[in-house]
Amino acid sequence: MSQGPNRREMLVGAGAAVSALAWTPGARAQAARRAPFTIVINNSPWFDGFRGAVEAYEKESGNKVNLDVNPFGGSLEKQRASVRARDGQFDLLIMNGLYYQEMYHGGFLTPINDIDPAFRLDPQMIRYDNTVYWNAAAKSHDPSGKLMSVPVNGNIPLLLYRADLYEEHKLKVPETWDQLLENAKKLHNPPRIYGIVQRGARGAPNDVSYDWWPYLYSHGGSLFRDEPKGDYTITINSPQAKEALDFYIRMAKEAGHPQTGGLAQAQIIQNLATGRAAHAMLVIAAWSQLDDPTKSAVVGKLNAARVPGSANGKPAPVLGHWLAGIPKNVPRPRQEAALAFLNWFQTRDAQLKYMAAGAPPVRQDVLSDAGLMREPKNRWMGAMAQSSEFVKLMWSVPEGAQIGDVLELRLNQAVIGELTTTRALNAIAEESHTIMERAGYRTGKIAAL
Amino acid sequence: MTAQGIQIDRKWRAIALTPAAVIFVAMSLLPVLNLMAMSVHEIKWVASHSVWSYVGFTHYRRLAEDELLQAGIGNTAIFAVVGVTIQVVLGFFLAWAVSRIRSGRTLYRTIFILPILVPGILIGAVWKLMLNFDFGLVNGAIGLLGLHPVDWLGTRAWALPSVILVDIWHWTPFCFLLLLAGFESLPQDVQEAARIDGADTWTELRYVLIPMMMPVIVVTFLFRFVTSLKVFDEIYLLTGGGPGSATEVLSYTIYRTFFTQDRMGYGSAMSIAVLFGISLLIVGSLAASRRYGARA
Repeated sequence: MSQGPNRREMLVGAGAAVSALAWTPGARAQAARRAPFTIVINNSPWFDGFRGAVEAYEKESGNKVNLDVNPFGGSLEKQRASVRARDGQFDLLIMNGLYYQEMYHGGFLTPINDIDPAFRLDPQMIRYDNTVYWNAAAKSHDPSGKLMSVPVNGNIPLLLYRADLYEEHKLKVPETWDQLLENAKKLHNPPRIYGIVQRGARGAPNDVSYDWWPYLYSHGGSLFRDEPKGDYTITINSPQAKEALDFYIRMAKEAGHPQTGGLAQAQIIQNLATGRAAHAMLVIAAWSQLDDPTKSAVVGKLNAARVPGSANGKPAPVLGHWLAGIPKNVPRPRQEAALAFLNWFQTRDAQLKYMAAGAPPVRQDVLSDAGLMREPKNRWMGAMAQSSEFVKLMWSVPEGAQIGDVLELRLNQAVIGELTTTRALNAIAEESHTIMERAGYRTGKIAAL
Repeated sequence: MTAQGIQIDRKWRAIALTPAAVIFVAMSLLPVLNLMAMSVHEIKWVASHSVWSYVGFTHYRRLAEDELLQAGIGNTAIFAVVGVTIQVVLGFFLAWAVSRIRSGRTLYRTIFILPILVPGILIGAVWKLMLNFDFGLVNGAIGLLGLHPVDWLGTRAWALPSVILVDIWHWTPFCFLLLLAGFESLPQDVQEAARIDGADTWTELRYVLIPMMMPVIVVTFLFRFVTSLKVFDEIYLLTGGGPGSATEVLSYTIYRTFFTQDRMGYGSAMSIAVLFGISLLIVGSLAASRRYGARA
């Protein structure tokens, strides 16, 4: 005779069911009271969206989150100081695609499944060239490696263009650099409007190199010969790279701002928002400002497209994304609190709130949601979704910070005419080779231009 | 005082100075010693621990080949010499003018010192907007005169002069204050005697006031010169060292080496070399000023 569950077993079963529900993504954050924890973050154009998401989390979960907000460089300095101390100050690091590498290589982060073996990155969360994973032995972003971070922002450059002027001049959205140059020249009428504005300034940390990189990749150039396979031979002074840099400068001269060498991201946004620029390549994080009537004179007039490619190559938008990682040197309750937030953050509901607060989402199902795409304010989403398959990382080595500094100086010198493109690229190659050689990588050089 | 009294007095002085000496060692000497130790090592981070590898004087040898450091030395020298000279000259004449007026001196003094009360971050933001190529007040003003706009911060020819101009605006009031205090402490009888002897304004200035003010002028110049060698905030906020290396200055080069590139060993060597260079400069300047004072 079979026996049904007794009263005690039923109570245990019900308790287990409630516990299981509490551990499902999204619900867990609401159910569990967590220790207060601190996020160190940069004050980038998408920060308001992130703050909105944090406020929503605090309201839903009742947990306390402290935000330590800094300029880009200041955030990196604080993160370094914190992870290198015996006891870390910050529990969640918002790391840029240009410097998260040093946190992985330096062993400063706790693999997420060491905190919670049951945690799974939602299948809808975008992996951004698998940069969320780290195989410490192979020093690569091997998806079979450990999960080290959760993406929080998917910044990639998009081509922003004045849709109203396109309609007026009956222009087609460009797919190649040549087409972009032609369109930019047609709309170039300085000083009233510049055909294109480019980030040609020597940045801290990155302006001109980030702006030029899609030209470089799509022309077939690269910094290293084969980084995923560990071949760090410097190839930045290849004929393809020169062609890409020559074209970038030609674009500035023929249809660009007269002072391209002095333009950083803030000036690009300023020129677009005031209606002084017909085109710019810009990360989508700036979109909310450009479509805000209190901050922009071109509300509803801009549209976004995938960045162009060369006639023979694919488009190559580069990653400037942000990842959230949990340091090793903070107490376990704070690590768990930070992870509970990330677990909530990756839910569809949280991502919708994140987007409503003004930041681009990092879930594919939100990013490609047909209903959301139809809303005029989200007209950038199609371009973002189209770009996903082409995105590429600039580099994955921590020495990228040093190389980035070299790139910024030499590329800026080429843009302002202080160096020829040949000399600038040869200088970058020479200096980058020295950096990689001193760091002990398998590197080499190609013949100088 | 008896011999025993002198001994007690010495002991008491030593005891009284000890806290200051301890603070000095803790706050100044130890960081410098730490920098020295770092400067002869290559420092890497492995498994969240720092690994120090001894490299001897390799970092110091590399300094000589560092193009950016050389640009930084040149620009810092131009920035300090040109900027501080103009600040002292302007501050001198402003102080002289204010010392000669009988009413409203407090009002003028208050107006002239306003720029040094403004936080550096605000100065950077305000001047960056004013010097903006497309929307700046300065280009708007010269446009009214029919002149073409200038990219004050984005071209090699104008970037360093523009930053120097901002520094002059910021720090001339400081020179003005020191020099005004100097003017106000001058003995009036010498000036009156000069006037009774028929000296006109220029003669009085040239042969009476400037020689009497020279120690204050030298101290003001030296003080500002040393502080201007440390310029950082204006460069960081206005130009980021660019365009190219046009506004690269020593402290910004060190900052980028340490914090952007994360090269602690090399950055330390750079810091020690700069510290040594500036110390030599200060000692030399003080010796020269003492010799000048002795001659005067």
